[in-house]
Amino acid sequence: MGFPVSDEANELLAQWPPRARALFAELLDDAGSDLQRELIQRAVVAAHTPAEVHAFADELRAMSDEEAYEACTLHDSAPEDYTVAQLLRAEADPLFAFELMGGTIEPNEEQSSQGFIPPRRVPDTIELEAVGPSDAVAAAVAKKKSSDSFEADSPGASRPRKLDWNDLGNTRPPPQKKDSGPPSSGGTRFLENLLAEATRALAISWKEHDVDVPGGLSMADALASAAGALARGIPVPCAVGPHPGDHRRFIVLMQLNTSGKSRAWQLYDPFSSELLWANEGDLLAKAELPFANKMNRRLTRIVLPQSLRSSF
Amino acid sequence: MAPVKSQPSTPFASRELNGEVLLDELSDLRNAQVPQKLLSDLVLGLRDLEGVRVSEAALRLKQLAANRFSATPALASLLVRWSARLKVELDVPLLISHFERLAITAAIVASVRRASDSLKGGGR
Repeated sequence: MGFPVSDEANELLAQWPPRARALFAELLDDAGSDLQRELIQRAVVAAHTPAEVHAFADELRAMSDEEAYEACTLHDSAPEDYTVAQLLRAEADPLFAFELMGGTIEPNEEQSSQGFIPPRRVPDTIELEAVGPSDAVAAAVAKKKSSDSFEADSPGASRPRKLDWNDLGNTRPPPQKKDSGPPSSGGTRFLENLLAEATRALAISWKEHDVDVPGGLSMADALASAAGALARGIPVPCAVGPHPGDHRRFIVLMQLNTSGKSRAWQLYDPFSSELLWANEGDLLAKAELPFANKMNRRLTRIVLPQSLRSSF
Repeated sequence: MAPVKSQPSTPFASRELNGEVLLDELSDLRNAQVPQKLLSDLVLGLRDLEGVRVSEAALRLKQLAANRFSATPALASLLVRWSARLKVELDVPLLISHFERLAITAAIVASVRRASDSLKGGGR
């Protein structure tokens, strides 16, 4: 049975090998619902490889429509956890959203596409209306509470008519988890993963935030969040350095002591074993920290605890 | 019936309880190569002490030291020392919090040591 395929998907499918195109037709046939077929087509439009689309379809097939919608939709908390670029991309690319939501696929490149890799290019401009929700998607959305819907996250009135991917970068980035960090860190934000692993038994997870860079926290907000964590008995690791985005050393905020209107933070450097108190005003001034090494004069990144058991 | 004291006893009222004191203990545990898992297990065990009276809490700390952590002398002796310092009811939640901080700080220090190589200049 042939199912309708959008022009955008056909344009991409035309570049697939014949065997992969035949497999795609089978995937649509095997899909359990119109919603699943729509999600599979959108994955094609997002320029995923045949193997990725195949693996994605395999995952979807085991789900009900509601489960599939849930698995490919970022939740209300998403704006706090993901970058704007990731949110925008997730709206257009259900496979990307699926992975951001923790889903995994296991593409079999050899079997599905025999080494074929589609051009890693997304059309310069995507008309959102052109890939607008099908009736099935609309029905699934309608089943959800308004607070859970796409519209609640991104009101139609403020949604841009055109999504210009050139604003997000000239090439389509590879699928990535949300823990990628800025290159200035000299690496990725894997401290939060190390910490999560080390404190899993205590039911604490962590999230890194750059301080005083676009998209990050202000110094005042970072300290306010750290104060909340310390009040619950959780020390807060940070990076320090000479400038925003230039992370040179890790330290730990151990305690916060309030006396009248002044607040003092106890800082610990595990490498020099220095344990010092600093006035909050000095931290906010970003001019100098009390450590022997004066080059690192400010906090540049903070790692805040996220999921906490109720007693913390 | 004696009134319940509204202040914790001296060791628990110290400003350095979760600063210098904690780091000294952490250093001892690190030198004794106490694994992080044992610290996490200890914290989970101590959470059962929430709401327990001070005498009962001291007794259970000694039991933990003698049973669950007897194979880890550094940790067992730390528990015994703290059990002897428990004097008033307010000390119990402060002790639980202290060991939670100890376990979390141990995890943080171990993690930042592993992660420091990702920083410019090796982070040291």
